[in-house]
Amino acid sequence: MSNSPDERGVELRELFYETSQELVQALNEEALKLEKNPADEEIVRSIRRTVHTLKGDSAACGLRELSELAHQFEDALSLESAASHAAVAEIAFATADIFSEMIAAYRNGTKLPATKALSKKIQELTSAPKNGKTRGKKTAGKTSKSKESTGKASVSKLASKADAQWTEYERLAMSKAQASGQDVLHVVTKIDAHCAMPIAGRQLVHNAIGTMGPVIAVRPDAKSPAAAKFIEFVVATVQTPEQIAAKCKIPTIVEEVSVEVLLHANAAPQPVEPEASSEAGAHDADAATEMTLPEPSTAAMLPAGSIPVPQENLLRVEAGRIDNVLNLVGELIIGKSMLQQALNEFTKRFPKEALRGKFADAMAFQARVLNDLQRSVMKIRMVPVDQLFRRFPRMVRDVARQCGREVELAVSGQDTDLDKGILDAIAEPLTHLVRNAISHGIESPEERRKLGKPSQGIVRLNAYHQGNQVIVEVTDDGRGIDVAKIRTKAFELGLTTPEEASKMSELEALNFIFRPGFSTAEQVTEVSGRGVGMDVVQSVLHRLKASISVDTRLGQGTTFRLKLPLTLAIIKALLFWVEQRLYAIPLNAVLEIARTFEGEVHQVDNYEVLQLRNQVLPLLRLGRPAPEGDRKTKLFVLIITVSEKKYGLIVDALEGEEELVIKALDEQTFSTDLVSGASILGDGRVVLILNLPAVVEHVARLRPQEMGQANSGLLLTHTDRMRLALTPEVGGQV
Amino acid sequence: MSRELHIVGFQVGRETYGVPITSLHEIVRVPEITAVPDAPDYLEGVINLRGKIVSVMDLRKRFGEKQAAAKRTNRILVVEHAGRLAGLIVDSASEVLKIPADAVEAPPAVFQEGGLNCVTGLGKVSGRLIVLLDMSKLLAPASLVSKGESEDKKTAAKAGAR
Repeated sequence: MSNSPDERGVELRELFYETSQELVQALNEEALKLEKNPADEEIVRSIRRTVHTLKGDSAACGLRELSELAHQFEDALSLESAASHAAVAEIAFATADIFSEMIAAYRNGTKLPATKALSKKIQELTSAPKNGKTRGKKTAGKTSKSKESTGKASVSKLASKADAQWTEYERLAMSKAQASGQDVLHVVTKIDAHCAMPIAGRQLVHNAIGTMGPVIAVRPDAKSPAAAKFIEFVVATVQTPEQIAAKCKIPTIVEEVSVEVLLHANAAPQPVEPEASSEAGAHDADAATEMTLPEPSTAAMLPAGSIPVPQENLLRVEAGRIDNVLNLVGELIIGKSMLQQALNEFTKRFPKEALRGKFADAMAFQARVLNDLQRSVMKIRMVPVDQLFRRFPRMVRDVARQCGREVELAVSGQDTDLDKGILDAIAEPLTHLVRNAISHGIESPEERRKLGKPSQGIVRLNAYHQGNQVIVEVTDDGRGIDVAKIRTKAFELGLTTPEEASKMSELEALNFIFRPGFSTAEQVTEVSGRGVGMDVVQSVLHRLKASISVDTRLGQGTTFRLKLPLTLAIIKALLFWVEQRLYAIPLNAVLEIARTFEGEVHQVDNYEVLQLRNQVLPLLRLGRPAPEGDRKTKLFVLIITVSEKKYGLIVDALEGEEELVIKALDEQTFSTDLVSGASILGDGRVVLILNLPAVVEHVARLRPQEMGQANSGLLLTHTDRMRLALTPEVGGQV
Repeated sequence: MSRELHIVGFQVGRETYGVPITSLHEIVRVPEITAVPDAPDYLEGVINLRGKIVSVMDLRKRFGEKQAAAKRTNRILVVEHAGRLAGLIVDSASEVLKIPADAVEAPPAVFQEGGLNCVTGLGKVSGRLIVLLDMSKLLAPASLVSKGESEDKKTAAKAGAR
């Protein structure tokens, strides 16, 4: 608590930027709901609560413009006579947009967006302007109670956030106290930031309140970090709020106190509260009562987490810290394999030593704990995809409106967990896919009716686990992609020849939509319906070592399926040797390992292929070209899949399977995309992890006539090439 | 009150070069180097520096020597630049030199044109000439790429000739 006020302000603002995103998101969601059920007053109230919280928070941070706008909107909403609720939803959308623009502007220090048009709209909503003014006074009255407005706002912020958090037991105690003729008061005390011993201070305040009546609930928990900043009590008492406030105001510990009446004593008639704050108190009490009274239907209607409730067992941690822990776990895993190697050597040297078993036991135990540790740390980074999916309803609504479509968004599997980094990275590609699905996939309502489909199209977002991967799907029931047209277009653009195009499987042809340049041609987007920026989608997925596949039926719809790794940091890998160097590839890309002879390798169009059972696989020779005339040499072929296609990698020898902690190569010095990262083995050796899509692409890019033996030697360095070129009996066999 | 520059001197070929001591992280013996495919030839590869992956550049090749034999005296200078570590293979690392700031001359203009724009100056210490290097230029991706490409072309041309 030794931070200077300035630093605290900055911290507070950072916190606000974070939480405000959620609030704006909640506002969007509520507005969407309201649009569907315009008559539901509960939603309007919930919007009001959200806006109220936003107002309090922004005022606490000194973001005046934002809090004023929020205040204005809140006022308009609090009028029961507010105009039709559909208009409210419309304005709520606009407000949410302006809010997020403002927040971004504050954050980046840029110019604030214009709000005049919006405030005018809001004013129109207010049919009785007088009433609005009294509301304005209410805040003023409340302010007079505290010394500074920012401080007040922060207290009210705490209070409003806390409203929903009483447990059932506490609520029961409240209503009991109420029945026995006591007022139930909600007391929020803000602990002086300069107080030397906030926890001790907390106890003092607690004792003080305890003398007034039974304390029903205390928030936050003493152990929570927020405990040093503020305390909330719910107390049942016969005293007036003023008496309580006076009692709590312990100099140097408590900066300010706000007392609200949650429930009035049943027996007593509504007491007329003194002071200017009375109206505020009553109003807030009303709002609070709505929330605190056990009202199951309402509670069920509020989606979990739509109002950011500061739960005590929830931590906001900087991602960097978790990454740090994950790094350390990575080092431990390296250490584990070091130990394993030492043990292996030990076993070899002293096969009869009894100590060996003890070592092995201890190591097995350690390995198990390490596994758990790794999984737990990785779980910290995991967040439900819902965090991403919940952005979409609003977007779908807007895009559908723009394009004149009727679209329903169906979301499933939102509880599926995904690494936060990956989630953030796929936000843009996914947005793109959904937008495409609406604007190009779904037909206009008239067209759909003509086709005998329901006029409302469906866009489906789905996520689920599959093995070591997470699959995210975007499906529409629109017109699908016309593969024939893609073929024609690919030919027109010179990407392929008519013969090639006709030989191509549907899947291969569909892959053209991910080609850069293919998408930018305007006709393509019109005829095929897909494309703009699909190469961007593809490149993001490449970076993540993820893949995308398309599944389409003409006239019935399209599914884009993203296959994402669970985490970016640690992979199971297969290690192998090429040219006396060790390399690794992700194990989940390997289908099987085949052994064969040079003689089994055939050449088709200068490409080497291998017949495996009844399939013909293109081969990629990672090392030097095949020595001529040699038909007996044994070969290892790793059968891999890259974007649904199979390839064989010819390697020199296999090393084994290992868990690798991925470390990035210095991208500024190594511009190669063949290698996606490096890792350190137990014995300190460095192993490079190959980027399979790039390896495959490298080979595909070389046209047969240019390459001679192009599908070989990918992993040779310049020095190797020079060396090989100098010894013609190995290299120059073209 | 002339300022002194603290320079770590090292040999590449016959010349003595120097980098500011502040940019030096440490000097290590040459460990096993993992080559990276598709990289320019003066980029030797990556090493494991106590759990960190550090890319290593062979300064001898960078300065135009074709065949650089490995010797026992070879060292890797690990330098820190813009928050990242990079290794430089040198023939030997010798000494820490103190050069008065006024004993440093600007590099001749011909250096700038000859692709050696990483030279910041020439220092004179007791009759010897020390070539002072600028880390940011030496490790700048732009200079590496252009150099790398020209190398690529050369090798490609060679391969074609064969």
